[in-house]
Amino acid sequence: MIELQSVSKSFGQLRAVSEISFATRDGEIFGLLGPNGAGKSTTIKMIMNILAPDSGSILFNGSPLREADKDRIGYLPEERGLYRKVKINEMLHYLASLKNADRSSVEKRLDEWLARFNLVEWKTRTPETLSKGMAQKVQFIASILHDPEFIFLDEPFSGLDPVSTDVLREAVLELGSMGKTILFSTHNMEVAEKICSRLLVIDHGREVISGSLADIKSRYGHNSVAVEFDGTIDFESLSGMVRNVSRFPRWVEMELAEGASSQALLKSLLGQVSVRRFEVVSPSLHQIFVELVGEGGKSGSEKAGE
Amino acid sequence: MGKLGKIIRMEFRLTVANKVFIILTIVGPFLIAAVTILPSLLSGSGGAMGGPATRIALVGADPRFVQEISPAFLQAKIEVSAVQGSAESLDPQVQAGVIDGYLVMPADLSKVARLEYVSKNAVDFRVISVLQGVIGKAIVAQRLIKAGVPPLQVASLTQSPAFETRQLTHNGEKKKNSDFVTVLMTGLTFAMLLYMTVLLYGQVIGRSVLTEKTSKTVEIMLSSVRPMDLLFGKILGKALASLLQYGIWVTVSAAVLKLIGPRFGLSIGFGLTMSTLAYLVLFFILAYFLYCSLYAALGAASEDEQHLGQLAWPMVIFLVIPIVMISPIITTPQAPVIIGLSLFPLTAPIVMFLRILVGAARPWEILVSIGLIIAATAGVIWLSARIFQVGILMTGKRFKFREVLRLARSR
Repeated sequence: MIELQSVSKSFGQLRAVSEISFATRDGEIFGLLGPNGAGKSTTIKMIMNILAPDSGSILFNGSPLREADKDRIGYLPEERGLYRKVKINEMLHYLASLKNADRSSVEKRLDEWLARFNLVEWKTRTPETLSKGMAQKVQFIASILHDPEFIFLDEPFSGLDPVSTDVLREAVLELGSMGKTILFSTHNMEVAEKICSRLLVIDHGREVISGSLADIKSRYGHNSVAVEFDGTIDFESLSGMVRNVSRFPRWVEMELAEGASSQALLKSLLGQVSVRRFEVVSPSLHQIFVELVGEGGKSGSEKAGE
Repeated sequence: MGKLGKIIRMEFRLTVANKVFIILTIVGPFLIAAVTILPSLLSGSGGAMGGPATRIALVGADPRFVQEISPAFLQAKIEVSAVQGSAESLDPQVQAGVIDGYLVMPADLSKVARLEYVSKNAVDFRVISVLQGVIGKAIVAQRLIKAGVPPLQVASLTQSPAFETRQLTHNGEKKKNSDFVTVLMTGLTFAMLLYMTVLLYGQVIGRSVLTEKTSKTVEIMLSSVRPMDLLFGKILGKALASLLQYGIWVTVSAAVLKLIGPRFGLSIGFGLTMSTLAYLVLFFILAYFLYCSLYAALGAASEDEQHLGQLAWPMVIFLVIPIVMISPIITTPQAPVIIGLSLFPLTAPIVMFLRILVGAARPWEILVSIGLIIAATAGVIWLSARIFQVGILMTGKRFKFREVLRLARSR
């Protein structure tokens, strides 16, 4: 379990991360979301002990990260880099050996992963010949080749084509189903929505929202309900459950009030009218994100990078 | 194998597999041999070059006198001839290269106080010293004969005694000491060797650390290993590679010199005793690691190669200082400034070695000097690990020493 307790970090005048707290649960995929410059990379670097927080503490299974713990972690940094003159298989073996991984099992996994990402023919070439997206996939392999329990991925999907994005997303989901704890940062909400079980949105180094996806959607998304019906609805009886009602003779669109459940609304409606169609239009994470950090995002874009 | 060992092995392999490294390793011994032999070919006895003898005209000299002294000149491959007439008339011949120079000889040699040698190459010290020796001695002999000394006794009377120096060491032993030139040559060779090595391999290490930063591999590395391990691994890996190269160079060039050296009348070796040789190796390795870790620190602090070069300059000066000061160091090894320089880690390796060579270093001074160099090296590696870690944040920014110190303290 990774636990951050009111962690802060400043670079000179710039407050990159401010009082961030969260804890991942074992075996979950945790998303660290936020616009560019929000402090996501800084947070991950602090977890990796590459940067030291100014205040607060970061606990790895209840105690500060020890050198030996690093072997159980796979890390894909935001800045991708490989030794230019070293063959890809040698580089991958070297990096895995620095995690004290067993060579023969690394060799087996190496072939599997290269095949999965369509990189088999590049195995004995140097990274100089790789495209940016390919290099990124190689680096993803490097971060998981030693079969770590914890995987930290900093913007793993940026710069990938749609096919590669799908392959990588499947890979992350599969690793998640194998019981790995995965923490990844992204500003790509569509991907986040598809794979995260819980998430934390930060902006300007501060927490904006956190929790499970469903929880966040019910708390912050204003779910709308569209109903097609025969009969007459007594809107008085629905007060407290809905608001912003757009009425038509046989059709109505209502926004669910805070805390109201669409199922309760449906039950109540069934007692009054014959419902022909009942549709809950749930907001996308993207919508929530834009709504939450939209204002800050504009000023945030002028800020220096993470 | 520990992580440090793995890094050392990788760095060693990366260095050795480099094309430039391989080419340098092969070409190196021939360069060394060439550099060692060429100067002696050019300035040594002209005979080695197979060049023509130097022709000197002695203007107004007695042909009998010339005949007497010409065997001594011939040994040095100088042909002298007696010429009558005015000196000025010989100028065109010198210009045209018919003769190499002329010496104006007055009629009465016993009264002469000053002689003038005219040639196109006024700094040919070999010719000048032979002229001074042979003609000077002949003139003194003439004076003695004029004063009534029997000619047969002149030679033994003008023979100056041979000088031998004995050095009183700290434990009261009077030992035969190497002369100034030998010490100078040994010291200079050591200093130049160190200078070249540091420039060559120090930069390789600095660049390697810099590349770690610019190629963005540093974060991946630091997610597995400590910055100290990474830097130590780099320094040791490259050092082993360069030691291998040095070993090849020394062996091959020694063999080359042994094979072709005697043909040029060259002898190898500076007459080092085992203990001075041990000191030489010790101080060389100490200096090597100190400067390599400095280069690693600079590599961590700089943003590109040009910047690295700029930062490295002030450091290289500390290697040049002892070379420039080599003569005062040998002649006044007990001067406070020299003692200071022999303890200051950056200049200590060369200066202390020279002081040991002339027998002026007390044992405790040697120990303190070695201790300070080791402490400085450890300190520099620690500092570069900190700069390294801080430097990750600073890619693209100019390095400010104050900032590094602040961040180094903050953790």
